[in-house]
Amino acid sequence: MTRIQRDGVIHVCIALGSVIFLLWVIPAYSPPYPGYGARASLVPNVSVGIMLAMSVLALVRNASAYFSGKAGRPDESEYPEEGRSNGFSQVGGMDLWHLARFIIPCALLIPVIEWVGFIPAGIAFMLVMQYLCGQRGLVAATLVALGAVFVLYIAMRYGFGVPLPGS
Amino acid sequence: MEPIVAGLLDALSPVTLLFVLGGVVAGVAVGAIPGLNGPMAIALCIPLTYYMSPLAAIGFLVGLNKGAFYGGSISAILLRTPGTPEAAATTWDGYALACQGRGEKALRMALYASVSGDFLSTMALIVVAAPLATVALYMGPPEMFALICLALTIIAGIGTGSLLRGLVAAGLGLLVGTVGTEPVTALPRLTFDVYQLDRGLSLIPVAIGMLAFSEILIQLERRVRRGGGQQSAVSFSAEPEARYVSWGEYRDSLRTILRSTAIGVGVGAMPGLGAPVASFVGYDQARKRSSKPEEFGSGRLEGVAASEAANSAVVGGSLIPLFVLGIPGNLAVAVLMGAFMIHGMMPGPLLFEQNAQLMYGIFGSLIVASFLLLIVGRLGLKLFCKAVQVPAAVLYPIVIFTCLMGSYLTESSTFDVKVMLFFGFLGYLMRKADFSYVAFLIGFILVPEWERALQQVVIASQYNPYLFLTRPVAVMLMLLTFFVVLKALVGAFRRHKYDGVETAAGG
Repeated sequence: MTRIQRDGVIHVCIALGSVIFLLWVIPAYSPPYPGYGARASLVPNVSVGIMLAMSVLALVRNASAYFSGKAGRPDESEYPEEGRSNGFSQVGGMDLWHLARFIIPCALLIPVIEWVGFIPAGIAFMLVMQYLCGQRGLVAATLVALGAVFVLYIAMRYGFGVPLPGS
Repeated sequence: MEPIVAGLLDALSPVTLLFVLGGVVAGVAVGAIPGLNGPMAIALCIPLTYYMSPLAAIGFLVGLNKGAFYGGSISAILLRTPGTPEAAATTWDGYALACQGRGEKALRMALYASVSGDFLSTMALIVVAAPLATVALYMGPPEMFALICLALTIIAGIGTGSLLRGLVAAGLGLLVGTVGTEPVTALPRLTFDVYQLDRGLSLIPVAIGMLAFSEILIQLERRVRRGGGQQSAVSFSAEPEARYVSWGEYRDSLRTILRSTAIGVGVGAMPGLGAPVASFVGYDQARKRSSKPEEFGSGRLEGVAASEAANSAVVGGSLIPLFVLGIPGNLAVAVLMGAFMIHGMMPGPLLFEQNAQLMYGIFGSLIVASFLLLIVGRLGLKLFCKAVQVPAAVLYPIVIFTCLMGSYLTESSTFDVKVMLFFGFLGYLMRKADFSYVAFLIGFILVPEWERALQQVVIASQYNPYLFLTRPVAVMLMLLTFFVVLKALVGAFRRHKYDGVETAAGG
């Protein structure tokens, strides 16, 4: 897929999502008008209106460039391509497997903490994360896991006085 | 004159110095950790100050706040994960410098710019507090509404190359910021019957997800694609040129530092606009006024100096309305105001009359904290540089664990962890699709104030839009906003020629 095609898909999705929000979600999940001041739906409507207008403009602009067969810079960026890759954004393809590998253990951490407790769950999580990040030394991984979990445990329990998940 | 001398001598007493030093050290450490920030640290440390004298307590908390502002730049430069939201602009050039092996130099420039901005803003607080606060006093809801519109428009152009994409992201940020209890009716809005959303989304999990967690996901993805190895940010050059900031380099950035300091003081003095706005505006101005704007974003010391001087200058600036009018300028100062009240003081003009010695003692502590920050930053720099030479396989899991627990820490809520994960995923998608997460976050942060101003305008005008015409400053700001948008859009349509290059990853 070319970048202009991908951008087209993204802007169509944003525009469709905005329309759904304007027509259904915002009216359905906003409080009724109390009779004074601005409506509760005003700011959400303005926000989504901005998104819809900008997406449509982007689609029009990309379509005109695509059908006229013009070649040139990918957008109106004033920033150098080198700069973009160094700090402004990380444009590129997604790696869903990579995302799943890291997000799933993170999503499971809190339920597991509530089930087996902070320290065992934290140590297991740290070991898994280190393995996924390329750590293969068991002793080093265990020491890091123990250190990080105990430092955070002491900080949260005794330093900040925060009740730990599941406690 | 006597209260001034007595107050300054109080600030130099060993006990006060010790507490201010403790505050600065703790602040730098807290700021450097993604997920922990100045306001949170102040709130957590207020109970500790019960046993201190009022001057030591306020000195400690102010030191904490100042330290956190600089500390945020450390992880921003070395890991590209801003420890605090205001350090986000520092990542653009700071991280690029770190990738070039000049991370230590970037850290030093961040320190010098922070201390310069902080010290000058403190002097501004002492010298010109009253006149600046008087200007802010004349700002009513129409001006505030117009000012936020302008700020959002300017910010939408930063962080990504496209204003269209920036505005889409800002719109999304505004939308997400409206989730929660609606201010007029006090009824839930866009909560989808999820009761945890009734209180709205907290900034901390959203910011950790968007800024830190999504960044770690992307850095890990790159690392896996590269087949492991040390991340480039932690490779420091041994060359003195790549480590130290020369006087000439500081002098070259001095104009930027002074400009950013003025921006930081001005933004800080305006209630509602915080350090993130100051740092982005400071950075944007530095880029626009530079002779080499194309080098910004690819590792320019001036970029680091602009952002850091601006956000550190907010500390002094935000205290102006607090001390003169009793109005907190941002979240950190609002928490600080609570500390004043706990110690039996009500910030405002009367404080100068009733507690003149204490006020000058606080001013003295602010100056002392600036110098202590310089010392702590310089002495600790080596330690910070060594600390980041930790292998990625060790560092990233710790950062991820800290992100998760940092989100939980905000309100001891596991729901916030889920929020952080969701916004981490959203941040990953936005970065991949080149939408500005910065514009998103600023929209999210500014929407409550924006909506409050809008409601006040609507109620005061009774739906009469001509109210704006009676407020020339508001009209001017709105016209400026329309001009900025129109100019960018016309320019975009004129210049735009899309290429059909295949995406690198085939995405």
